[in-house]
Amino acid sequence: MTDQPEQHPVTGLDDVVHQRVRLGILTVAHQARRVEFGFLRTTLGLTAGNLSQHLAVLEKAGLVDIEKGYEGKRARTWLSLTPAGDRALRDEVVQLKRLIHQIEHGSSPRSPDPNPVEPW
Amino acid sequence: MPLQGTPQEVLAGLDELTRKVRSAQRGTWFPLLLLSVLTLGGILVSRFTFQVLTVPCPATDPAAGTGCTLVKQGSPLYWPIGIALAYAATAFFYIRRSRNRGVGTPVRPYILTGIALLGVVAATTFWSTRHGIPRPGEPLDFWGLHLDAGSAMTGFLERLVGNATDVGLPLLVLSWVERSRVLLLLTAVYLAIELAPLSTGWSGIPFTSPWFFLPRYAVPGVVLLLGALGFGLAELPRRRNAS
Repeated sequence: MTDQPEQHPVTGLDDVVHQRVRLGILTVAHQARRVEFGFLRTTLGLTAGNLSQHLAVLEKAGLVDIEKGYEGKRARTWLSLTPAGDRALRDEVVQLKRLIHQIEHGSSPRSPDPNPVEPW
Repeated sequence: MPLQGTPQEVLAGLDELTRKVRSAQRGTWFPLLLLSVLTLGGILVSRFTFQVLTVPCPATDPAAGTGCTLVKQGSPLYWPIGIALAYAATAFFYIRRSRNRGVGTPVRPYILTGIALLGVVAATTFWSTRHGIPRPGEPLDFWGLHLDAGSAMTGFLERLVGNATDVGLPLLVLSWVERSRVLLLLTAVYLAIELAPLSTGWSGIPFTSPWFFLPRYAVPGVVLLLGALGFGLAELPRRRNAS
């Protein structure tokens, strides 16, 4: 039995997640647990239309849950990561770390730290 | 949004975003302010509940047959009710802030830990004093262990099962959920003050004085108050930028 050639980390990157705005949305939602549309727009420096387009892609892929409602007379849209979105973000970070390792050392680490954020 | 370039730059951009969100989630000054007010309020409660009683000395005491001085100070309700209200107000503050800012709050583990430990401390205090405050020379019943009330170990346990547990340990949880090294350091200082007998004895105030507990509450209270001021001032530029 021969060993399968190890896949290059680039092949493990998911296009839906890797796009920079969507990666930003997933990162903010991961840390915030629940985040409002306006906060996302300000933090990521996007227009409402642009953000809506990316949210629609993420919602269609099942990576985020979108909840619309009112607080008083004010319409508000809240977003949270689904378990699939959480996994997708972790996988993306793992692949990025593997890619960095590959560039720096010429081979991928066996099990890079999957935590998408620094501990402290 | 700096999320492009080399993989290193993308990861650095993710870290930067995470830091921004954490910064918007933090409200550390509020629980610290409440806890400092509560702790400093303990000085007044001790002062106004102060009583000196003369009770018969125990048979084992060399002064048996004469009167011994017993000092009663403090309210059994002040700390449990005060700390419970502080946790309720903190939860309300963080939820309201979360709604206003549009970003979720990670404060739930802090509140749940605080309330659970408050229950443990209240139950322990109730158990130890269910037959009244032990008279001089009587052992202290600590969950069935009959400890020498005058020993250093009993003194340490009394300090441990107090504000160190129902205020200090939850603050450790808050420093973890808010990923704040400064709060971790402040909590370590607070716990050292609560657990080491730093704030009693050295002040020269006799135990028969109504102000005996002044350093016991003033030192940790001032530490918490300075922490609240520091976190509040550190948050001002962020609030100005947000508005």
